Amino acid sequence: MTYSSTMAANRQNYNQKNKNVISFHKRAKTLGPVSNTVILIVLACLLGLIYLTQVVKTNTYGAQLYASQQQQTQLESQYTNLQVSSAQLQSLDRVQNNQVSKNLSQVSPSATLNN
Amino acid sequence: MNNDSQRFNLKALFKVNIIFFFIIAFIGLLLVRLFYVQVIKYSFYHQSALNNQLEQSKIPATRGLIEAHEAGQLIPIVLNQQFFTIYADPTLIKNIDKTSSDLSGVLNMPKSTLKSLLETHNTRYVVVAKKVSQDQANKILGFRYPGLGSLGQDYRVYPQGDLASQLLGFVDNSGHGNYGIEQVLNNQLSGKTGYLKAITDVNGVPLAASKNNIDIPPQNGKNVVLTLDLAMQKQLQDILANAAKSEKSPLISAVIMDSNTGAIKAMANYPSYNPAHYNQVKDPNLFNNATVANPIEPGSTMKVFTAAAALNHGNVNQNTTYNDPSQWIIDGFKITNIEEDGGAGKKSIEDILNLSLNTGATWLLMQMGGGKVDLKARQVWNDYMTNHFRFGKATDIEQGYESGGIVPNPDIANQSDDQQNLAYANTSFGQGVTVTPLQMASALSSVINGGTRYEPYLVDGFADSQGNVNYNKPKVIASNVVSSNTSNSMISLLETVVKKHEEAGFKYLAFPSGYNIGGKTGTAQVPKPDGGYYDNKFNGTYLGFVGGNKPQYSVAIFVTTPTVPGYAGSYGAQPIFGNIAHMLINQSYVTPIGQ
Repeated sequence: MTYSSTMAANRQNYNQKNKNVISFHKRAKTLGPVSNTVILIVLACLLGLIYLTQVVKTNTYGAQLYASQQQQTQLESQYTNLQVSSAQLQSLDRVQNNQVSKNLSQVSPSATLNN
Repeated sequence: MNNDSQRFNLKALFKVNIIFFFIIAFIGLLLVRLFYVQVIKYSFYHQSALNNQLEQSKIPATRGLIEAHEAGQLIPIVLNQQFFTIYADPTLIKNIDKTSSDLSGVLNMPKSTLKSLLETHNTRYVVVAKKVSQDQANKILGFRYPGLGSLGQDYRVYPQGDLASQLLGFVDNSGHGNYGIEQVLNNQLSGKTGYLKAITDVNGVPLAASKNNIDIPPQNGKNVVLTLDLAMQKQLQDILANAAKSEKSPLISAVIMDSNTGAIKAMANYPSYNPAHYNQVKDPNLFNNATVANPIEPGSTMKVFTAAAALNHGNVNQNTTYNDPSQWIIDGFKITNIEEDGGAGKKSIEDILNLSLNTGATWLLMQMGGGKVDLKARQVWNDYMTNHFRFGKATDIEQGYESGGIVPNPDIANQSDDQQNLAYANTSFGQGVTVTPLQMASALSSVINGGTRYEPYLVDGFADSQGNVNYNKPKVIASNVVSSNTSNSMISLLETVVKKHEEAGFKYLAFPSGYNIGGKTGTAQVPKPDGGYYDNKFNGTYLGFVGGNKPQYSVAIFVTTPTVPGYAGSYGAQPIFGNIAHMLINQSYVTPIGQ
């Protein structure tokens, strides 16, 4: 009988006698303090990176928003200029001095229309 | 060997220690510096950083537009346009000759002027040009010359030139409204300034991620819609300009008001000014809207109200007649009439208005008292002037510097009864009392519209940015100014006056059938600054209405010292009324009888 078969036979005996068995499990591996620190630093870096990404993204949106606002201001300025031009074209002095209106002749009303 | 090795190790260790010491010392120095910078000098560097990164500015609100009616549309008559101020920092300009040459081409300014500006010493800010258009500013900035910049600013633009300028007012360089609508509605027109506080990047773009950013957008001013009819306003101004030339009057004012709402349809003075060039105006009196700010003694147009008060008081009616003595003597002074109309005899209320009898107006005043000019007559007439017709009080129209005029007190303690009787007899025919054209038009409206006094108004409403207008409703101040009987009598009497004047030779008072026109002239002596009246200076006034089934427009005209061959009222103001009435009829502003 070999040593191992002897031990197996012994274990069988214990089992048969319904007795407690001491079990030897391999101890779980844990990280040491250095690893923990490194992991924490890496995690902090990752979080920082995510934060920076979001900040940059937000600021990019901010820049786009600013550009849109600038464009809106320009368009409003153009609109105002057009509004001024339109009002100047409708100026009564301009209409009065227009060649077409100068060629119009005045007539006295001969009748009043009833609607 | 061992000793050598030991010696070597000690030597190496010493070197390492030295290096280590220096490293530690260096790190220590860094830490000390860091502590100094981060802790001790924290405020200084924090502020420096903020100065570079923080943008803090007020955002100006856009001033509201002013619009008016024209052919069923709203037309803007006061707008904003952005112009630019071009400035330079002479210390940064490298090639002054080329820069001034390029600027000269864009700005149409002499190169020598620009060169001398850019060569200015001891300053880093020189204004090169003001009110430069956007295109010109873009061209200049396109040169990319260091030391040149532009600053945008909104300016008021008046596409209709001097149209309604005195009632509009103007906006000065600080953005504050002066005179007219601009002054009275300055708060509503100017809006509320916005505010921006933000951390920015190197290009000045606000960083959205900064939690302390403050961005309060500006609240733009409200757009104001006026009651004015632009075409009517333009024609009124043309009529006044022509009259001023032919009559050589230094000042003519006129108001056309809707008799049944109090809305001002046209309001003008001649001379006027262009508000776009307000800084070139030499006489500040030109800024005043004389129709509300210059009260004068109206003369015989006041008889309209003396008659209305006497009729309404109940002592006389439209058909009452009396014996006119051709003169009254009060406090030793004679009250007489003009020679050609002033003979003694039986006279009617119609004669008082048609012949403009001063003795008749005094007689009407007597009927308000105990048959003579006394305290009771003074009190009753004063009550009509101040409480019914609201003379002596500002109308509260939306205009700067409105004057209420002067109505004498009926019972002054330190004056004799005779003196006060004379003063009040004078007021019955429009001397010794001052009123504005607006007050006259407004009071006439209440006499001819059945007795309802409306508050005269120029602001029809406020428009939002989409163009939706929230219109104001006419505001009734009193509904018992005169009875409807008195109102009808006055309409009839004033129509008769116009007809009789037309028959007497004033042919321009002939109007097409289907319209009813009434009115009354006034000629007033001009008071001297130190008391008394000039013998040779007269103001002309006219008070009338134009309508169909009922009076539609009330018109008041004041002509200052016209040079005309005849009475200032009949030959100075009345022709202007004729032109205005024809304009209103010919341009279909008046609804004819039966429609």
